[in-house]
Amino acid sequence: MSKYTFSICFLFAVFFVQAQELPTAPISKEINSEKPKSKTTKVVTEIKTDSVPLKKDRYGLRLGVDLYKLTRGLYDKDYKGVEFVGDFRLTKNYYLAAELGIEDKTTDDDRLNSTATGTYLKGGFDYNMYNNWLDMENIISVGLRGGFSTFSQQLNSYKIYSADKYWGEIPSITDGTKYTGLTAAWAEVAVGMKAKVFNNVFVGFGIQLKMLLANKDPDNFENLYIPGFNRTYDGSFGVGFNYTVSYFIPLYKKTVKVPETEKKGTKK
Amino acid sequence: MKKILYFLLVFAFGLSSCEKDDICDANTPTTPKLIISFYNITDVSVKKDVTRLKVIGLDQENGIIFNESATDETKYLTSGDSIAIPLKTDTDSTTFTFILNSDNTTPSNTDQMKFNYTRQNVYVSRACGYKTIYKLSAQNPIETTDSGNDGLWMQLVEPKNSNIEFENETHVKVYF
Repeated sequence: MSKYTFSICFLFAVFFVQAQELPTAPISKEINSEKPKSKTTKVVTEIKTDSVPLKKDRYGLRLGVDLYKLTRGLYDKDYKGVEFVGDFRLTKNYYLAAELGIEDKTTDDDRLNSTATGTYLKGGFDYNMYNNWLDMENIISVGLRGGFSTFSQQLNSYKIYSADKYWGEIPSITDGTKYTGLTAAWAEVAVGMKAKVFNNVFVGFGIQLKMLLANKDPDNFENLYIPGFNRTYDGSFGVGFNYTVSYFIPLYKKTVKVPETEKKGTKK
Repeated sequence: MKKILYFLLVFAFGLSSCEKDDICDANTPTTPKLIISFYNITDVSVKKDVTRLKVIGLDQENGIIFNESATDETKYLTSGDSIAIPLKTDTDSTTFTFILNSDNTTPSNTDQMKFNYTRQNVYVSRACGYKTIYKLSAQNPIETTDSGNDGLWMQLVEPKNSNIEFENETHVKVYF
């Protein structure tokens, strides 16, 4: 089941990449068409650069919600969760970023069934690698996060493994033990993109690669799912995915300083 | 930029396809079997081979398979000096019938042995789930009864290691 949901979201990811590329494509054409123009009529371009008003970047707070987690509860009976995302623009390319979430996930493995419930907080920064044209505010970012989760784990049922089947397979044993006060901390590399769809509304998606740094396992059991970190593997690696819709609250504007190198670049 | 994105997508797809890692490895120590070693009653330090021993669990139709390669009845027979038998994971005692010389060439002798123990379920891994480890009861760990009137062939039974956690040591010694 989880395998399918994974695949479906990656399918979405593909769609999104393609949707993203459409608006950028004509722009790159413009670049190409503009270049020969500037070569032929140098005078015109010079006038243009003088008359163009100073470019201003908007700074503010962007708040949003992860639709993937929110809607997953509709079709996956084993999952309930929500994640709020936020970022604040610090400089031209750096953003403070944070995610706050709550998850309730039942992991149904062949031999174990357990439910993890808890909240998590992730904080860090994003670096925007995308060079926007004019007043575009799209983001293709690479970022780092530190994550912390506090949760409880309930062992619903388990099976006893014995290599010898002489006495037959014993049906799974209902347990119900709840292990509380568990914590985990991890670091993650987040890659994502956000596109302004209209006004101050942005949609975006991101993939996170995670590495578990600290994990408090319950006695005689293991954390098979950590809220915010997702499924644990034998190693300490994990992956995450989100699909967000967010609203940008502009707070102030800053004039873009065009560095010398960029000026030279435009004159070429 | 595009390259990085494509790489990430391929990477993510790769991860999603190799998600299945939940097959319990046969080398993982799971629920241990009970190891019984047979010794010579006249020279207690010397191991002794049993002859065509068949072990059947109470209320089971077939014996425990000792010789996997054999196809006929002989797969239930052993003539070695030690056996490994599985204890029940859902009750606190397991009873077996031990039939010496079970294939009728010589008069067979049937004894019954009941093992009393306490159990503990220990977490192994996501793939294997839990295992059961046993501790033979301090009082009356093993009860032997004779089936028929031919006397016990197992003249002395002695628990050697009452903690049954691993399969690399003898748990019960039987002298005959």
